[in-house]
Amino acid sequence: MSGEEKIESALREFLERKRISRRDFLKGCGVLAIALGLSQVDGAAKVALALATKPRPPVIWLSLQDCTGCTESLTRSQSPQLLNLILSDLSLDYHETLQAAAGAGAEESRLATMRDYAGKYVLVVEGSPTPQDGGVYCVLGGRSNIDVLKETAASAAAVVAVGNCACFGGIPGARQSPSGGVGVRDILGNGVVHIAGCPPIAEAITAVFVHLLVFDRLPELDGLGRPLETYRNTIHDRCVRRTFYDSGQYVKSFDDQGAKQGYCLYLLGCKGPTTYNACPTLRWNGGVSYPIQSGHPCLGCSEPHFWDGGGFYAGQSAPLASPSGVITAVAVAAGAALGVGAILAGRAKSRTTSSPAPPPPSDSSSQEEKTR
Amino acid sequence: MNDVLAFARGPLFYGSLIFFLVAMAFRLFRVLALRWQVDRAKPKGNAVEGAVVSLLKALLIFPFFPGLKGLPQRSALVFFAGGIFHLSLFLVIFFTAAHTLVWQSLLGFRWDPIPTPIIDGFTAATILALIVLAINRATNPVLRLLSGPSSYLNLLFVLTPFLTGFIMYHRLIQPYNAVFAIHMLAVDWLLVWIPLSRIAHFMFYFFSRPAHGAEFARRNAVP
Repeated sequence: MSGEEKIESALREFLERKRISRRDFLKGCGVLAIALGLSQVDGAAKVALALATKPRPPVIWLSLQDCTGCTESLTRSQSPQLLNLILSDLSLDYHETLQAAAGAGAEESRLATMRDYAGKYVLVVEGSPTPQDGGVYCVLGGRSNIDVLKETAASAAAVVAVGNCACFGGIPGARQSPSGGVGVRDILGNGVVHIAGCPPIAEAITAVFVHLLVFDRLPELDGLGRPLETYRNTIHDRCVRRTFYDSGQYVKSFDDQGAKQGYCLYLLGCKGPTTYNACPTLRWNGGVSYPIQSGHPCLGCSEPHFWDGGGFYAGQSAPLASPSGVITAVAVAAGAALGVGAILAGRAKSRTTSSPAPPPPSDSSSQEEKTR
Repeated sequence: MNDVLAFARGPLFYGSLIFFLVAMAFRLFRVLALRWQVDRAKPKGNAVEGAVVSLLKALLIFPFFPGLKGLPQRSALVFFAGGIFHLSLFLVIFFTAAHTLVWQSLLGFRWDPIPTPIIDGFTAATILALIVLAINRATNPVLRLLSGPSSYLNLLFVLTPFLTGFIMYHRLIQPYNAVFAIHMLAVDWLLVWIPLSRIAHFMFYFFSRPAHGAEFARRNAVP
């Protein structure tokens, strides 16, 4: 049997075992290939081969201060067959939401995975670590979330932070949050892969695991630790409404004629120009749509501090801090008082001098007189 | 770069704007508080009319019709570049879509932007006009004598926000956020620089033109 026949045979056996049609399998592999930045034909073949033949790493999924939205995004994906294919074989050894075990048994399964697969398992973190006040705001099995995170990361092959909370602190890290959430990198240092978003696109999460399987290494990251294959372009770069931005046709309120025409949402606060994510290409709900296509401006959820980014509808260009009317008035009044005061002080000084000639004007005042 | 951008859009912008307001008010009131010369001659014309006509002519006519001043060809080009530059500056600052959102944030209301391609054209015109003005300043023997480093820095500090804005809009350089951060840093610095420099003439102009116009009109001269 030739090498090609062996692969074909392994693939057939794999699909029969998983009870998935070849068509669905290859279609899903094509989607993942696109998410990985590969060509749909050759890339899909590479992904298919890796999925059919390579063993999956065990995964420990820690849920810290989160809303479980990232898990929801992953498990409610529109391509469940493909995700099952990956997840079922991923050996999701510890996941508070999905695992059957509870209490001490759950913690024991985590410790067992760490012991048996030291240096081989992947640690996924959902939700933000909360180091404030000794980590009391998030406790797992009676222990501080920071202790558990550090302990679990110590012998992990890779650490993947899923969602804006795990990546950058997210909502638990927003201003005035009492728990003071931070990103996983703030605890573990660089090297953590960020799958940013609130929540991230399911395929973006899956793509990291598939990348590991296909290439045996982590994907290339951008300056914020996000895989370039998914986060290389801004929403604006690939936006379906981009032509309206270019031609200056904007929606001015959610119910105006422009909204009905599908014009650009920039004036309603769209953060697309500054947000790096693959929403316009991968889209949501099986590639049906994404927020801008559905008529809502981008919130910039895959960027750091998006929750404190000046308001969802305040505009991408609006200043994040600007003086109130009272402070503006006080500033102008203070400047005016100083200006008048400077002249009055100059006059008072000239009166006290005995010289009959007026004092020579300063450089700046002579310049102003020239202007007049 | 996100942290730099957030700083430039947040605390730095806030601080720069406060400095701008205090310093510009200081300069304006320092001039207004100077003793005004009392003209005791009997007026031969309407001073208010002279003030208004002078300001309107200065804003709407002279910058765009240099021939009215009987200037030689080269001066006409520079004159026109100056006019287009100031018009573009006004339109870009107040009518770019992105900037209307800034004004909305500062004032609580906004107005409709001018279509982006038109603003884009004016931005390009501003950049070209600035280059013409810089070349003229560097080559004209009289201007060279009058120019110091701050004269060229004025041009550079005004050019930078325009250039970075143009690059941002056309996404000529990536990452976008890095250019955006430079754009905001340039704007923040310009807010600090304006009151310290002769760019402050944009404020004095609206006082000096009517004042001169009124003086002319009192003597029955065309302002």
